[in-house]
Parts: sequence; structure tokens; C-alpha cells
Amino acid sequence: MPSKDSKEEKKEKAREVVDILEEISLLLNTHLDRPQLSLCVSLIENGVNPEALATAISDLRRDADDLQRVEIKDVA
Amino acid sequence: MGDNRSNRVDSTLNALLDSFIAPRAAGEDEEAFEERAEYALERGKSTVNQGSSITASEINQAHDLIRRKLLRDNASPEKAARFGNLYSRLLSTPVLNQKWSILYLLYRLAEEEPGEHQRGPLAESAQLANLFHGEPNEKLKALKDLDDSGPEHASLPNGSDVLSNGGFSGQEYPSRARSRTQKPPVPKFNHAEPGDDQDVEAKVYTIDPPEDALLRDLPFNLQGLSSAHLNFTSSTTVKLPPTLPIPIISLLHSLAEPCLLYRGLSEFTQASNGGLVSQSLRAAIGIELRSYLSLVATLEGEIRRCLTAAEKDDTPMGVRKAGVTLKRCVIWTRDATMGLRLMTLVVEESEQKIGGQLISLIHGFSSSHGDPFVGAFAERLLTRVTRPFYDMLRRWIYDGELVDPYHEFFVSEPDPSTRPDVDPRRVETSVWEDKYSLDPSMMPSIISADFAKKIFLIGKSLNFLRHNCGDSDWVIEHSKSATKELRYGDTATLEASIDEAYKTTMTRLTRLMSHKYHLFTHFTAIKKYLLLSQGDFIALLMESLAPHLDRPAYSQYRHTLTSQLEHAIRHSNAQYDDPEVLRRLDARMVELGSGEIGWDSFTLEYKISPPCDVVITQWASMQYLKVFNLLWRIKRVEFSLSTTWRRCMTGSRGVLSSVEDRVGGDWKRARCVIAEMVHFVNQLQYYILFEVIEASWDQLQTAMNKQDSTLDDLIEAHKKYINSITHKGLLGNPRHASTGQREDSFLSQLHYILKNMLAYKDVVDGLYSYSIAEFTRRQEFSAQIEHRTAQGKWGITERDLLPSESSRASTPISGGTQPYRQSVLLSDNDSPLPLGSIGAGADKNLLVSLRARLLQLSTEFKSRINMLLYDLAHQPDVDMRFLGVVMNFNEVYKPVNVRRQKAKERERERREMERRSREVSAVAGEEGEGSGIRSAARA
Repeated sequence: MPSKDSKEEKKEKAREVVDILEEISLLLNTHLDRPQLSLCVSLIENGVNPEALATAISDLRRDADDLQRVEIKDVA
Repeated sequence: MGDNRSNRVDSTLNALLDSFIAPRAAGEDEEAFEERAEYALERGKSTVNQGSSITASEINQAHDLIRRKLLRDNASPEKAARFGNLYSRLLSTPVLNQKWSILYLLYRLAEEEPGEHQRGPLAESAQLANLFHGEPNEKLKALKDLDDSGPEHASLPNGSDVLSNGGFSGQEYPSRARSRTQKPPVPKFNHAEPGDDQDVEAKVYTIDPPEDALLRDLPFNLQGLSSAHLNFTSSTTVKLPPTLPIPIISLLHSLAEPCLLYRGLSEFTQASNGGLVSQSLRAAIGIELRSYLSLVATLEGEIRRCLTAAEKDDTPMGVRKAGVTLKRCVIWTRDATMGLRLMTLVVEESEQKIGGQLISLIHGFSSSHGDPFVGAFAERLLTRVTRPFYDMLRRWIYDGELVDPYHEFFVSEPDPSTRPDVDPRRVETSVWEDKYSLDPSMMPSIISADFAKKIFLIGKSLNFLRHNCGDSDWVIEHSKSATKELRYGDTATLEASIDEAYKTTMTRLTRLMSHKYHLFTHFTAIKKYLLLSQGDFIALLMESLAPHLDRPAYSQYRHTLTSQLEHAIRHSNAQYDDPEVLRRLDARMVELGSGEIGWDSFTLEYKISPPCDVVITQWASMQYLKVFNLLWRIKRVEFSLSTTWRRCMTGSRGVLSSVEDRVGGDWKRARCVIAEMVHFVNQLQYYILFEVIEASWDQLQTAMNKQDSTLDDLIEAHKKYINSITHKGLLGNPRHASTGQREDSFLSQLHYILKNMLAYKDVVDGLYSYSIAEFTRRQEFSAQIEHRTAQGKWGITERDLLPSESSRASTPISGGTQPYRQSVLLSDNDSPLPLGSIGAGADKNLLVSLRARLLQLSTEFKSRINMLLYDLAHQPDVDMRFLGVVMNFNEVYKPVNVRRQKAKERERERREMERRSREVSAVAGEEGEGSGIRSAARA
């Protein structure tokens, strides 16, 4: 069945793309794991602004950092 | 559809953001965590939905941005190449529509976590100094990454737990360490690769003291402090515990190096002696050491954290994950060790060096060392070390002041007491030449020699302007307006600003010299008056001075000389000259030995005042005086020769024609010789004035009018000018050019010839007065004849004839003999005859001696000329050979080499002697033979 074939093919292609992107992300040390990366890809494919997304992610990361730091301070 | 899509986006976003929310902290209860997560989610969503101002074009350049970032962050282009490869693969896949946006996202995420890609503290060696900004934060992140980077790390307690329970206390460690060593199955801190054989290795090594104890002490050791296991016995040795296995010892060996180096360097930075440059070196090294210390601090943090982590978690995984081992410490400190090593090298080599040499030394590392790390490091040191140097340089080229308390600059101010007094040419020390000197050994290699010379000249000129030309206002103004910050590294700007300073300063100085101090006017005036260019003035001066100067030197009075000078100025064109110039002109007598007449010691003088005496130095004035002296002599000879010539020319039409029968031949000869002399003098004068002085003057003028000439150029040109006029003007070169043998200098030869001429002129004057006397005698004689004829006596008596017959000459005062003769007549005695004959004899003797003297002087003159011509013909200088040709254009003189002739004569004499002695012996032999023959015949 051509439609199923094409679907398989598409999936295959998508995996390939995510592979590539993961490698780039590794190169850049973005610390995104594969599920995160694919989520991001799908978001952006759906028209989410990459700048905004980046800001959001880094905000969250910073929050986490802050939290940890606060705890360290508490300990000290 | 749209709704569906937005829903999908929403859920995906939720999933994504969820994964980023920090995990629940230890002390946090469920609700708070929920709340926090909710809040974070909301905020993330709103941020995403808000969108942003990012433009499409920027997004489309994402791949470019990434590549640049990779190139920037990594020493090798390998990663960038890999990225390029991936990117082209990505482009070829048709699945994605928003490739660039995704790339941009990745780029942004990477960008916002600077340094996170560096795992080792010293991955970027070039940034040793400022490496650890925000490093602790990074490390925390690294820990956190460990936490949330996947399920396989789940066993690891998260960082906050570790830290909250950790609590470093010194006592805790040994016990723990001991406890660890007592548990054999637990792997030690062996830095082995992960693998199944780990346990085996662990059994092999039992380390005492344990590695974590060593690690704990390491930060102290790295600061050069002794610890329980590593003991610094002296400043250059460290004692390692003997119980350690060899691999650990070798690791400690490499770790001991930075410890020892740091000790040495920190000692060096504590010292406070040395010049500014070495102090700045010290400061620079101090800064480097600070960054080293911050590295140590980071290391310490790492070590502690990891030790705590290891303490908390006994599994082998935890130990390895904590990841701080001695080996890793070695790796981390490797670059720092290289830096320390380099600094130690610099410090050791700089012990004997100061200032520029020190800079050259470091510059040598930065420019010619093959290792880029060393190059970059030295470059960084250099920036700080050269700061005092550039400060000095700035002061020097903008203010013309040498601010160099430790004698480190390449311009030095010689100590007046130690200044060697070698050059006799400079009688007085010249402000320009001697005040500062260039010290090539102190010249740093960061500036070229040409450049240094330029800098030297700038500062010297400014200093000269300020202190000797009284133009400090301009200098201050200039330094205010032009001063620029100079520093290392910006060679182009430095060169440009120095060139500019050079140009302005030189222009200013040359302008000042020519306009305010009339240097060029002085040159012209000297040429006019001392080198006899102003003919009418010199002729007038000579004419008016001649009667005075014939008298002995001691009877010359300065006021007569100056008044005659004044007279000469007023009656010649010199009166229109600049009064400033005329004021400087002075006539005086040179102090000479007694017995000189005025001619020999008279001299004109041109007074030079500072700052022009920098160019027209004392030495130059002396040379001018010498040239003037020679010219003045020649002029004087010319003057007296022409006087005599005039006299005998006018005389030959009147007085002399009537005595032609007596002295006509003598006069003819004398005229010939005088003509020869006049020719000689004229040629000599022509040569010196036109071939030598004018030609050199032309060169000097060309040099003066050159657009960008500096004071040094001027001095050089003037020196050349003087050298050429003295050398070509037959004054210099007392030694033979090729043989070095001392010979009669041209000057002494010329003096001799000139003296000869004057003597000849005196004799000719004698001849003239003799001729006049003869003429008068004849006149009186004929007058007497007439008188007697009128009285009716015989015109000529026998008595009258007798003396005249005997000598055909008569005493000059024959008129005076009349009463005497009468008295003789009265006494009726013939006794006057011998008296008269005596007088006639004296008369005759006088003429004969005059003739002999004339002949002698003229032959001497000729032989002298021949010698001079020979010497001239063998001069290397074309102009001087030309003088010989001009003097002897019709080859009437035969140049002879006196020295060779003399040698020849001696040789001939010797040969003659030999021949004679041989002959004598031969004769003796012949005689012997002859007797033998004779005896044979007899037999």
C-alpha cells in the first residue's frame, strides 16, 4: 500500500531528522534530550516562535538553578 | 482545525515545559511543588504565546550563527565541520518546514549557557586569566545535569542533597578515608576506565595515604603550602610520601610542579626591587597568579563536592561520576602549569635584564615561540609589562622629557662625570649631540631600529626646543594637543602617531632654526665673509689693513682692526647686509708666537650663539677659521703680487726703460716669474673658491632646502660641507691616503710656496729700488754734466769716468759725493778712487746678490710647484687632480716625485760606491796580475 509505505517512509525520515538535530544539539551542548527535542521540533513546526520558546526554556532552567542555589545557601 | 492545532501545541508545550521544571526538592512538600510547577508552566506558556521581536532574517541565519559559535568556542574547526555536514544532511531532508527556526532554537539554548560545553576548567587556555567567571554556577549545573540527564543516573542523589548533608569538616575526612580503605571490595579512587575489570584493579592497588586525602590536600599544595602528606622541605623541593605506588607518585610528580613553581613565583612577586618594567612584570605575574589561585579555588570546590558526594554514596558509580581524581587534576592544571613554567622561565632569565631587554625577552616568547599557547600567554604578559615603557615613550615623544628613574628606556642621559672625552673634534660638549644617547642594547624588539631612531630624534628635538630654543610654550601646547595613549599591540596606530609627532616636531624645529635663529642666513654670512665670497668687502679690507698688518703682530691693536673692519663694511656692499649678521662679524688677532707679523695672525671671526652652535659647532668654527686663514694668505699674496706687478708695469714705461741696459734682462726674467706666480695664485684661488666652496655650497643648499630635513640632516650636511671644503681646499689629509705615510701636507707645501712668493716679491721690490737708484744716479750725472757744461768745463772728467768705467754702476747717492770729491780734490790725493771703487763694488755686489737671490727663489718656486703638482696628480679626488691640470695646462712644469727621486739618488750613490769599490779592487787585482805578467816577462 503506497499510503502506508509513505507513512512509514515519513516516520523514517522524521527519525532521521531528529537524529541529525540531536547531534547538532549535542554539538551545541543544549542539554536537550531526545523527547524534549522532538517536542520542540513539533512545536516549532506548528508555528511557535523559536525565540520565545528558547526564552521560556531557559527561564525554567534558571528557576531550577535558583531553587538549588537557594537551598545551598540554606545549607551553608 | 485551527483549534485542534492550538490544542496540540498546548499539550506538547505542557509536556515539554514539564520536563524542564526542577524536580521536587528534598524539603519541599507536594503542594508547594505543585504550585511551583503550575506557576512555571503558566509563565512558560505566556512567554511562548507572547512571541518575540525576532526577525525572519535573523532566524534564517541560524546555521551561520551556530557555525561561528562553534568556531569561536572550539580551538579546532572539527566541530564546525561536523556541524556543516549535519546541516547539509538536514537540508536535504524534506520533512521539516521550519529547519532554521529549530536551528535557531538550538542556537539560543546553547548560547544562553556560556561555558557549559566546557567540561575541563582549562579547555580554553587562552582565557586563563578570566576563565572562572561564574564557574561555581556552571559546576552546579553540571551536577544538576547529572541529576536529570536520564534514568540511568537515578541512583545518584541530587546535588542539593549532597550539599545539604555534606558539611565539610577537616576531622571527618581521615576517618572516612580510613573506613574506605578498610573496605576492600569498594573500589579506590583509581582513575581506571569504566569496565568490568574495575574490581580487579581495585584489589591490586591499596593506596596509602588514600587518593582522596591527597586530593583534599591538593588545593593547599597547589598554593605552595605543606600538607600532611606533601611537605615542602625547601623552596624548591617537595617530599612525597614514600608509601605510594609508582603511578600515583608520577601523578604527584606532575602535580608538584605547579606547586613549586607557584612558590617560586609568589616569592618573586613579593620582592620589590628592580626598575619600573620589572615591577610591572611582577604585577603582571601577580595577576596571572591570582587567576591561578582562582583555578585552585575552583578545583577545591570540585574536590570537596565530589568527596562529599563520594562519602554519601558508596557505590562505585557515584565515585566515578563525581569525577575528580588526581589524574583529572593533573589534566586540569596542565595549562596552568605551562603558564607557571613560562613565567618562571621569564623570571629566571630576567634576573640580569632591565627595561628594554626584559621586554625584548618576553617579546621573543610571544613572537618566535612555536607554541601558540606560549605565544598568547607572553603576549598577555607583554601588554602589562610594556605599560611603563609606553608611558616613558609617551612622555618622551610628546613632552621631550626623559622620565626614566631606573635607566630602562633606550634613550639614556649620560652622566656628565662619566662621559668619555674621546672626540677631540668637539671641544665643547654639544647639547644636541651629547645630551642624550641611544642605547641599542636597551632597545626592545617590539620596535624596529629605524623606529627607535625616529623616536630618539623626536624626543631630542622636543627637549632641544624646550631647553635651548626657549620654545617650551609650543612644546607644552603640542604635548597637550597631540598626546595619545600608547600601548602594546596596536602597532599601526603607534606608528601613525609617532610618524605624526615626528613630522610636526621636525617641521617646527627646522622652521624655528631657519626663521627665528636665522641659521641659513648665518651659513650665507659665513660663506660671504669668512670664505671671501664678498669680493669687494675683502678687497677693501685688505687694502685698508695692509699698512697695519705689515707691522709685527704685537703692535696690532684691536681697535684699529675693528675700525678698519667697520670701514670695509661701510664702503662695500656689505653695508646692506642684515645688521644681525654684521654684528657678529669681528676682527681679531690669533695668539701666535712672537716674531709674527700682522698678516700671519689676523683673522676674521663670525660669532655663533646658541642654539645655532649645535649646527655650527666649535669645531666647525675652527675649520672655518682655518679655511679663512689659507684664503686670507692667498689673497694677501695675490694682493702683494699684483701691487708689485703694477709697479713694474708702470715703471717699465718710465723709470725702468731708462735703465734697461743695466737691468732689463733681470726685469724680464722677474716679470716672467711673477706672471707664473700670479697664474698659480689665480688658479689656486679659482679652484678653492669656485671648484670647492661653491660646489660644496650648492650641495649644502640642496640639503637645506629639502622638504623634510631634520636637524640631524642639517648637521650632517654641514659637516660634510666643512669636510669637503677643508679636504679639497688642501687643508686636511696630512697623511698619504694609500700608504698612511706622513708626508708634507698640502697646507705646508702651500705655505712654503706662498712664503717663497712673498720673498720673491721682496727681492723684486729690492730690484725696483735698485733700478730707481740707478735711474736717479744717471739723472744726477747728466744734470752734473749739464751744470759743468754751463760752467764751461768738460762735462765728464776722468775722475768721473773712472769709477763708472770700473763698475758701470754708481752709488745711489753719487750726488752726495760731490763735496766729498772736492775735498778729495783739495787734498790732492787719489785716495777717492779706491773709495769710489769700493762703493761701486758694493753696488755691483748688491745687484749680483739680487740676481742670485732672484734666480734661487725662482728655481725653488719651480721645484716646489713640481712637487705639489706631483702630489696633486696622485690624489684620489678628481677635483684636486683637476687643480693640478689647470695649473699645468701647457705642461710647462714637470711634476717630480721628490721622495722617489731622493731614493733614486741614494740608490745611485750606493751603486756608485759599490762600483768604485769594485773598481778599486779590480785595479788592485790587475796590478797584481800585471806584476805577475811583468815578472813572467822578466823571467
